[in-house]
Amino acid sequence: MLAQQILNALTLGAIYSLIALGYTLVYGILAMINFAHSEVLMLGAFTALGLATFAPAAFGSGPSALAAMFVAGMAAAGLVNVVVERFAYRPLRAVSRLAPLISAIGVSIVLQNGVFLWISTQSLSFPRPVVIGQISLFGASVSSLQLVILGAALGLMGLLHFFVESTKMGKAMRACADDISTAGLMGIDADRVIAVTFFVGGALGGAAGVLYGMNYGSIKYNLGFLPGAKAFTAAVLGGIGNIRGAVLGGFILGLLEVLACGYIPDGAQWRDVIAFTVLIVVLLVRPSGLLGEKMAEKV
Amino acid sequence: MKKLLGSRWALGAALAAAAAFPFLAQAVEQPYLVRVAGVIGLFMILGLGLNFTLGYAGLFDLGFISFYAIGAYTTAIAMRAHVPAPLAIVLAVAITLAMRALLGLTILRLRGDYLAVVTMGFGEIARLVINNLDSLTNGPKGMQVRPWRPLACISPDPNVQYYLLILAGVSLAVVASRRIESSRVGRAWVAIREDEVAARLSGIPVREYKLLAFTLSAAFAGLAGALFALWEQFVTPESFVFWESVLVVSIVVLGGMGSIAGVLLGALILVGLPPLMQWTLSAEWINYRYLFFGLILVLATLFRPQGLLPSARRESELSS
Amino acid sequence: MTSRRSAPAFAIIALLVAACGPKEKAFKIAVAVPLTGDMGTEGQGLRRAVEMAVEEANTAQRFPYKLAAVPFDDRADPKEAVNVANLIISDPRIIAVVGHYNSGCAIPAAKVYARAPVAMISPAATNPEVTAQQLSPDWIGPKMVFRVVPTDDVQGAYAAEFTYRKLGKRRMSLLHDKTPYGQGLAEQFKKTFLQLGGDIVTEDGVAVGDKDFKALLTKIKGSVKKTEGLYFGGLYTEAGLLLKQMRELDMKDPFVFISGDGSKTSGLFEVAGESADGAYLSIVGVPVEDLPSAAKFMADYKKRWTGSGEELKPFDHFGYEAARIIFAAMEKGATNRAQMIEELRKTDFTGALGLTRFDAKGDTLNKIVTMTRAKSKGRSFDSIR
Repeated sequence: MLAQQILNALTLGAIYSLIALGYTLVYGILAMINFAHSEVLMLGAFTALGLATFAPAAFGSGPSALAAMFVAGMAAAGLVNVVVERFAYRPLRAVSRLAPLISAIGVSIVLQNGVFLWISTQSLSFPRPVVIGQISLFGASVSSLQLVILGAALGLMGLLHFFVESTKMGKAMRACADDISTAGLMGIDADRVIAVTFFVGGALGGAAGVLYGMNYGSIKYNLGFLPGAKAFTAAVLGGIGNIRGAVLGGFILGLLEVLACGYIPDGAQWRDVIAFTVLIVVLLVRPSGLLGEKMAEKV
Repeated sequence: MKKLLGSRWALGAALAAAAAFPFLAQAVEQPYLVRVAGVIGLFMILGLGLNFTLGYAGLFDLGFISFYAIGAYTTAIAMRAHVPAPLAIVLAVAITLAMRALLGLTILRLRGDYLAVVTMGFGEIARLVINNLDSLTNGPKGMQVRPWRPLACISPDPNVQYYLLILAGVSLAVVASRRIESSRVGRAWVAIREDEVAARLSGIPVREYKLLAFTLSAAFAGLAGALFALWEQFVTPESFVFWESVLVVSIVVLGGMGSIAGVLLGALILVGLPPLMQWTLSAEWINYRYLFFGLILVLATLFRPQGLLPSARRESELSS
Repeated sequence: MTSRRSAPAFAIIALLVAACGPKEKAFKIAVAVPLTGDMGTEGQGLRRAVEMAVEEANTAQRFPYKLAAVPFDDRADPKEAVNVANLIISDPRIIAVVGHYNSGCAIPAAKVYARAPVAMISPAATNPEVTAQQLSPDWIGPKMVFRVVPTDDVQGAYAAEFTYRKLGKRRMSLLHDKTPYGQGLAEQFKKTFLQLGGDIVTEDGVAVGDKDFKALLTKIKGSVKKTEGLYFGGLYTEAGLLLKQMRELDMKDPFVFISGDGSKTSGLFEVAGESADGAYLSIVGVPVEDLPSAAKFMADYKKRWTGSGEELKPFDHFGYEAARIIFAAMEKGATNRAQMIEELRKTDFTGALGLTRFDAKGDTLNKIVTMTRAKSKGRSFDSIR
C-alpha cells in the first residue's frame, strides 16, 4: 500500500510543481503574486479540450494527439499570461507593489466568469488520447496515464532548467531576478524578459492544466482555484522565487496530502489543516522557505 | 476630502445623514437599501481593521476573515450558553484579540509575502476547524443564534436596528483610527512601513509596534463578526471563505492604504456594487454580475493605482 | 425580461432607468439560487427548470394574467442570500420564492421571508433545520417554509436497507463531503446500517472541490477489515471522480458504490465516463417508468434546453415541481402572498415526483425512494425493483 500511496503522491506533486513554477518564475522577477495564474492554467486545459472537440482531424490520435494538446494548451496559456501582464500589470509595475495584486484578482474574476458564461457552466469531460493500461510495480498498480503525467512534468522541468541555465534569455532572466534596474542598465530589455517569463510560466501552467484534465477526466470553470492556491503554497514552502524550491515544495505538498489522507485517522478532512500547519512550522524555522535565500528588504 | 473629514461639523452632518438614511429609504419604499448599507458598514469596519495591519504597518494579511469568523462563532457559542448579548460581543472582541495576539507573536517575524501565505493558511485552518469540530460549532450545518433586538424601540425592522448598531461601530472605528493615526504610535507605524531599518535605528521598538497594529486589527474584525452573527441569527462556515479575505484586502488597497476615507469608499464600492447590480440588472444580465465586478476592479486599479482616495501622507511621500 | 428590469450593463445608469420604469401587470416567482460562483452549475439548472415551468403555464394560458420567473443570484453565500431575500420581499408582485440551493443560505433567508411573509419552497436544501427552525420560540412570523426535497434520513435509511438486504453487503466504507446534505445522508446510512447488524469499516470526510481521492481510496481498499463497498454522501462531481479513481485502483464489481440523488445526473457521466457503470444511486419518488409525468419532464427539458452545459442537473425536477405546486395553489385562487401560504399548506399535488403533500413543518410527505443503477451507454439510470 505504501508504494501505491507514494505513486499517488508523485502524480499529485508533479502537477503542483508545474503550477508552482509559474508562480515562482513571475515572483522571482517582479516579486508579485500572479493571482490570475490559476485561471491561466484553467484556460490552457479548455484550449486543449477545444482543439480536441473542434479539430479532431488535425488532432489525430495517440501520441501525436497528446503532443497537439500540450502544444495548444501551453501556447494559449502562455499567450494569455503575456496579454494579462501587458495590459493589467505592466502599467502598475512602477507605481505600487499591491496594485498589481488587485488587478490580478480582477483579471482572475473576469476570466473565470467569462468561461462560465461563454463556454460552459458545468464540467466537461476531457479526452485521454492514450490508452490506459495498468502495470504492476512494487505492489502498486501504475497506470500509463500516471507515467505520462510524471514523464511530461519531469521533462518540462528539465527543459526549464536548461532554458534558465544555458540560454541567453535564461541568463537575462536571472539577471533581472537579481536586480531588474541594474539589468536594464546593462542593456537587457527588461520588458521583453518579463514578457518571456510570463510566457514560460503561463505555458507551464497550461501544461499542468492539460495534465490535470487528463488525470481527473473532466474540467470546469473553477478548476484552477484549489490547485492554484496549493501550488502557490508549495512555491512558498520551497522558497518563492527559487525554481528548485518550487519543484521540491510541490512534491512535498503532494506527499503531505497523500500521507495525511492515507495514514491519519480522519485525515481526509484534516488534510489541508495538516498541510498548512507544516507550512507555518517550516517557515518559522526557515523564514524564506526550504531553499529560498534570505530576502533583502524590499520596500 | 481630507479637509472635509477634518471638519468636525462636516463629520457630524455626515453622521446625521447616515443615521437618517434608513428612515429615508423606508419612506421611499426601498428597504433593501438598508440591508445593503448594513452589509457595507460591516465591511467598512473590517476594512478599517485590516487597515491597521496592511495600511499602517504594511503587513500583508490574506486571512483576515478568519477573525471575523472567530468573532461570529464566539458570539454564537456564547449566545447558545445564554450569555447576554452585550457580554457576548465583548467576549467576541476579547477572544479575537487574544487569538490575533497569539498568532502575531508566532508569525510576525516573517516578511512580506511569506506572511501573506501564512495568514492565508491560518484563514483556511480556522475555517476547516470550524467545519470539522462538529461538537463545538455544529460543523457544516451551522448554528442558530437567538434573536437580540436592542433597538426595537426605534424601529420594528431588524435591518434598521442593525444598520444603526453597525453605524455606531463604523463611527467608533473611524474615531479610533483617527486618534491612533495621529498619535505617537501612528507615526511610529508610518516610520516602520517606510523604512524598517531606519525606524529601528531611531529607537522605535519595531517588533512591539508591529504586533500592536496586527493585534488591534482583530478588535474590529471581532466586533463586525459579533454584529453579523446577531443580525443574521445564524452562522455557517460557508460565510468565511478565502474570497472574503481577498475582498477585504481589495477594499483597503483600492480605497487607499492607510486612508480612512479611502477604506470607507472602497467598502462602499466593492461591497455595494454586487447588490446594486442584483437590483438593477435585468434577468439576462444577472449572470454577468461578477464579470462586471472583475472588470471594474481591474479598471479602477489601472486608473487609480494609488487607491481611490490615497492618504495625504502617502501621496506626499510618493510625489516628492 | 420585464421592462422595469431591462437595464444596460453598467449599474449606475441602470439604477436611474430602474427607478422610473413602468410596472407590469403580472405575478412573479422568484428563483433565488446560486447563478454564479462554485455552485453556479446547479443553480443555473434550477433556474432553467423553473423558467420552463413558467413558460409552459404561460403558453397554456393557465392563468388570466402573465407569470414571470425572476432569477436572483445568491452565489451560495449566506450574506448575499439574505440580501436577495430582502430584495425579494420588497417587490410586492413576487408571490412565492423557489430557493435556496444551500442550507446555509436557506436558513437565514427564510427568516427574512417570514417577516414579509412570503412562501419559500426549497428545491434542494436538505438540512432539517431549514423547516425545523419554524418550531423554535424565536421564530417570528407564520410557518411559510416548504420543502419538496426530502430530508436526508429517508434516502440514507433506504440505501442502508438496500445495501444490507438486497446486495447482501455487511462491511461498508463511508464517505461524505462535509456539507449538510452529504453528511446528513452518510450519518443516516450509518445509523440504519449498524441497526441492521452491518459494520462501518472506515469513515471519512472530504471537501467539495477536492479532486484527488486516490490516497483515501487506497486506504479504504487496504483496510484491515475487508470493505465490500463505499457509500458516498455528496454530489456528482466528487462522486464521478471517486468512481473514476476507484476503477483506476481496480476497485470494481463486486465492490459497490452507492450514493444519493445528488449524483444522479448526466453530469456524473461527464465526469466519470464509463467508470460510472454499475453505480447505485437512490432517488426520491417512484420509478420514472411508472410515472409518465416524470418522463415527460425529462423529455421536455431536453427539448427546451439544448445549449452546452444545459443538461438536467440533479435537483432540477424539484425546482420544476416547486413551481408547479405554486401554480396549483394559484389555480385554487391564491392571488396574494398570504393566500399562497394558506394554499401551499393544503397542497395535494401529483406531478413529476409523484404525490406531494406537506407535513406541519412544511416538509414533503413523499418519502418513496427508488434505487437506480447507472449505465453510461445511453447515459441512463435504470430503476431496480
